[in-house]
Amino acid sequence: MRFACDTGGTFTDLIVEDDDGVCRMFKASTTPDDPVRGVLDALQTAADGMGIDRKAMLSAGSLFIHGTTHAINAIITGRTARTALLTTEGHPDILTLREGGRTEAFNFTIPFPDPFIPRALTFEVPGRIRLDGQEIEPFDEAAVLAVIERLKDEKVEAVAVCLLWSVVNPEHEERVGALLEKHLPGIPYTLSHRLNPSLREFRRASSAAVDASLKPLMGHYMSSLQQRLKDAGFDGRVLVITSNAGVIDAQVAAQAPIHIVNSGPSMAPVAGHWFSLTDEGNDNAIVADTGGTTYDVSLVRRGLIPMTRETWIGEPYRGVMLGFPWVDVKSVGAGGGSIAWVDNGGLLHVGPQSAGAVPGPVAYGRGGTLPTVTDASVVLGHLDPDYFLGGTMSLDRDGAEASIRRYVAEPLGIDVAAAADAILAIATENMVQAIVDITVNQGIDPREAVLVGGGGAAGLNSVRIAQRLGCPTLIVPSVGATLSAAGALMSDLKAEYHAACFASTARFDRAKVNEALAGLRERCDAFAAASGAKGRTNIRYKAEARYDTQIWEIEAPVRSVSFDSAADVDAFVADFHAAHQDLFGFDDPASPIEIVGWSATVTCALRDTDGIRLSEDNVETRNHVRTAYFAETGWIETPVRRFDAMQPDEFIEGPALLENALTTVVVGPGAVATRRSSGGLSIAIGGK
Amino acid sequence: MSDTSTTSMDGVKMAILNNRFEGVTRKMANTLLRTGRSGVLNVARDFSCCVVTAECELLATNEGLPIHVLSGPDIMARYMKEFHPDLRAGDAFLNNSPYHGCSHAADWTLLVPVMDNDGRHRFTVVVKAHQADIGNSIPTTYHGSAKDVYEEGALIFPSTKVQSNYETNADFRRMCEMRIRVPEQWWGDFLAMVGAARIGEREIIAIAQEEGWEELDRFRRDWLDYSERRMIDAIKALPAGFAVHTSCHDPFPGTPETGIKVQAKVTIRPDDAIVEVDLTDNPDCLPCGLNLSEACSRTASMVGVFNAVEHSVPKNAGSFRRIDVKLRENCVVGIPRHPTSTSVSTTNVADRVANSTQAAIAQISGDHGLAECGAVIPPAVGVISGLHPDTGQPFVNQLFLGMSGGAGAPKADAWVTIGHVGNAGLCYVDSVEIDELRQPLYVYSRRLKTDSEGAGKHKGAPSVEVVFGPRDCAFDIGYVSDGAVNPAQGVRGGLSGGRGDQYRIRPDGQREQLDPCAQVTLQDGEKLVSVSTGGGGYGKPSERDPALVARDVREGLVSAERARSVYGVAIDAAGKFNEAETEALRASVPA
Repeated sequence: MRFACDTGGTFTDLIVEDDDGVCRMFKASTTPDDPVRGVLDALQTAADGMGIDRKAMLSAGSLFIHGTTHAINAIITGRTARTALLTTEGHPDILTLREGGRTEAFNFTIPFPDPFIPRALTFEVPGRIRLDGQEIEPFDEAAVLAVIERLKDEKVEAVAVCLLWSVVNPEHEERVGALLEKHLPGIPYTLSHRLNPSLREFRRASSAAVDASLKPLMGHYMSSLQQRLKDAGFDGRVLVITSNAGVIDAQVAAQAPIHIVNSGPSMAPVAGHWFSLTDEGNDNAIVADTGGTTYDVSLVRRGLIPMTRETWIGEPYRGVMLGFPWVDVKSVGAGGGSIAWVDNGGLLHVGPQSAGAVPGPVAYGRGGTLPTVTDASVVLGHLDPDYFLGGTMSLDRDGAEASIRRYVAEPLGIDVAAAADAILAIATENMVQAIVDITVNQGIDPREAVLVGGGGAAGLNSVRIAQRLGCPTLIVPSVGATLSAAGALMSDLKAEYHAACFASTARFDRAKVNEALAGLRERCDAFAAASGAKGRTNIRYKAEARYDTQIWEIEAPVRSVSFDSAADVDAFVADFHAAHQDLFGFDDPASPIEIVGWSATVTCALRDTDGIRLSEDNVETRNHVRTAYFAETGWIETPVRRFDAMQPDEFIEGPALLENALTTVVVGPGAVATRRSSGGLSIAIGGK
Repeated sequence: MSDTSTTSMDGVKMAILNNRFEGVTRKMANTLLRTGRSGVLNVARDFSCCVVTAECELLATNEGLPIHVLSGPDIMARYMKEFHPDLRAGDAFLNNSPYHGCSHAADWTLLVPVMDNDGRHRFTVVVKAHQADIGNSIPTTYHGSAKDVYEEGALIFPSTKVQSNYETNADFRRMCEMRIRVPEQWWGDFLAMVGAARIGEREIIAIAQEEGWEELDRFRRDWLDYSERRMIDAIKALPAGFAVHTSCHDPFPGTPETGIKVQAKVTIRPDDAIVEVDLTDNPDCLPCGLNLSEACSRTASMVGVFNAVEHSVPKNAGSFRRIDVKLRENCVVGIPRHPTSTSVSTTNVADRVANSTQAAIAQISGDHGLAECGAVIPPAVGVISGLHPDTGQPFVNQLFLGMSGGAGAPKADAWVTIGHVGNAGLCYVDSVEIDELRQPLYVYSRRLKTDSEGAGKHKGAPSVEVVFGPRDCAFDIGYVSDGAVNPAQGVRGGLSGGRGDQYRIRPDGQREQLDPCAQVTLQDGEKLVSVSTGGGGYGKPSERDPALVARDVREGLVSAERARSVYGVAIDAAGKFNEAETEALRASVPA
């Protein structure tokens, strides 16, 4: 038996896969004060649901895969360890000056962000390395020892070390590490060149700082998780989801916790890819996850999940930079809880303010007074007030209607249904722009991709989103409401290694590059050997490259582990031009290409089957008709169906409302929904 | 919803179309940023993208540099129509003429008319990008001492057709390659600009195919009216008043010995919902590169106004109707006549105009306006050029190693890395490692200077000091650093920010002061120390929260002595402030 458990902000999602490969989904409330308790609660819910004893269930388990927001929450709320930064003499303001940049040019109400580690805990270390690795100022051990004494006085709990050019010559950083080890025993530290061997001192320093600051907390969390699972009867392997859509052992995560900071959204594209390929045979997917307050969009491009290095926790330029590649996810403040309002110029806005989980939409009856996207869906008859979350919660339709009338319909001078429809239109547009942004950046044409709608609220307007984008097909997977946990079950053990070996195609040093690539391969092989995985192993190489004098690199594939001839270099050059053409619509064949870094990703499959099959016991059929509103038709009698009770390949023409226990899918007029053998819905936007 | 009988567009449709037009400019900007080749594009983000209507009104812009975009695209679009009445799909026009609506000669602007199927001109997409080199007589795009456009030396294109039928004119390309330094870099940037403009054209046509051109025309009219209503509300929130603020640019070659004194007379008339900025009472044009183009004179005034009002008001021709900028011909901050040089038009004197405007508004209202931002361009942000010792190839590029200059605001401390007021902090700061990799230089140190902030209730930015020099070679560096004599002033009792400075340190340690506007050759082993200007404070230092002062002291930004003498805050050995002593200190300071 295998468990995939994703702790989100509101719910802890769990999927249990039995030994026959049949899966069941469960949800329990997240317990922020002690998230492991919520995990154990979800396991209890599962045991109850399957009618077995929790201990018996857990002792039959071989694998527990966990996604956690514990690390990212600690960063956002400032509960990380008291951390010091040691950096090159003369350069104490790396974390203060950052990389510059700002948004909202005319907004002077937002002060400059504080450095992630205060200047008071930043210490300069003598010694300087040049770009070619030459030492031009010597290391000074006595000075470092003096700094260490101050670290003791300051009672720091973790130390980050980032020296200029340590990626080319790590000797000084290594010596600082050795001194810390000896004179500050028990205090965790992070050396920037080991953690994140890439150029750009701010990003490397920020990586090291965040990583070190999380070590005490996440070390404790991982031990506690493993121990309590063990006490509850689980004796298998505990893995944790990483920000780059893989999984690693819990103890590895404790030693480099930065890798799991964004574990939440990274698994959605793994699941999304499987469904778009299985259901539609399409290797290009836009994967959307609709939550209560945010809308997360990720991508699959020709079967691969694009990564980004623009990894900010919080707002760009104002938040915390991780400096580490992760799954490219565009998040916007748009979700079921986003609030609709009309400004004094008469323009309707939806969000970015959100009613959140508390008080939530007006219809929840928990004290919310401002109209939200969910309220609009209730008013339009798209959501059934008496059958929300499978009937476990009832909704206040009158309250929702009164609120939309007061705050939207009357200021705009339109009727309530038109106002509710307008709220969905604007929410849709916000989500569409998020998708446009990320697809432009990654060079994907939405008209050639499948839109995968995940998250409990995805069904409310995903058909409209697909329509606006020109996406021919929308998929709502059977496990859509727990898409990340489903992705976790399908994921591979994964590690990514980096080498900062600068090269230019104008004077390509094959021997030097081959040495770097060979080093990466060795590390991948060692990882695979130690992985304990039984399935296939795969290593992929990439270059972070750009045209001569460009500043922003793109990823270009590297076909093999060594450049044996000039022809191999030419092939790489051709691949780079093609990638640039793909992303930006032009290339510059005459220009040399600069490579600032090389990376290798090793994946080891954890099981030999793929995909996910959901149990279909106990589905009630509940077919009826409800009056619902669509802009094209006005109020109309609309069929309502349980989609998990539909037969494979059975289709229904819109307008229709298709429900299961966790979600409702609104199929507008003109669209046609078909049940797929995977269990999910495939909706042809333009009809059959 | 689908009622077409009413002539005005509802707030829903308008919001959706605005979102889409902004999406167009974002897409254009993203392409340019990610594909531009010179540092001034891909690091400084010294570019902007916008959409102008067929009537030459600014409709939508990306989040670009403020000094780039508010006024200028409208004027350039008018010249495009006047000089080329027969516009066709596939045309592209280049304008970098400060006498025809461009900001200055370095800001190459590509205008692409968007045509419908009947050959009717519907919109113009505009991409403006500061070039690394424009063929000036010296290797810098900021020629502060040029006595006229001839000495400046740039190629000037007054709305010149450079593409027909989507093909670039080969003669134009060959001319540029003969005249512009490091032509491969120039060509890469030009390709990036064309790519961005054509993406904008394609996207607008796609919107029109869905919505119809007439619908977009209705949007244009109603969106500008909406923006005007927002601006009316924003101005009505200000008190009525009149104020004059004077800001002086330091003396440079070609200026009077006292520098260039700029004054903005600002009148706020909430009843008419008008802000008037009068710049006519200022000196005539000068024989140097510091004069403003008409686009920069207007835009700088508008930047000062928009920095002072509710920030969410859309910036387009609609809200501009409520700003009345008064200019005169042949004025250093007005409308220059050919062959006046405006080489440095977007920064130095333009900043003095924007700063004067926002500081004048702060005089009128204690809840609005801003202190003065710091001045530029220090050597750490200069243009360096030379021969690369590893390859023997020539290089030229602008550095962005260190600017600060943020101004104290009514409700917040400064954004430290604002650069200068016309940039608004959008510029990135160079990575030391990337700069050392790309250019043969060496950065010895880079740090914020203690006690250089503009003290105030909300403080201005401190100075950044950068020490750098050549590696295994000599190189030239050009810069135009204002702010050594006239630092950024505080407002409402706030104090001035730190002054700019630059000097050379010879290998024997001897120190040599350098001119503020110069083209300097640094020999191997020499170091250049560049100190950026700080920003002014907003409100009295004695009103600053003592807990924040204590934190500034712990962080090493302010010394304990300065906390005491300037802020009236007593800090104890543990770094906390002493409440009783602080109260006594502040009581003894004259209000």
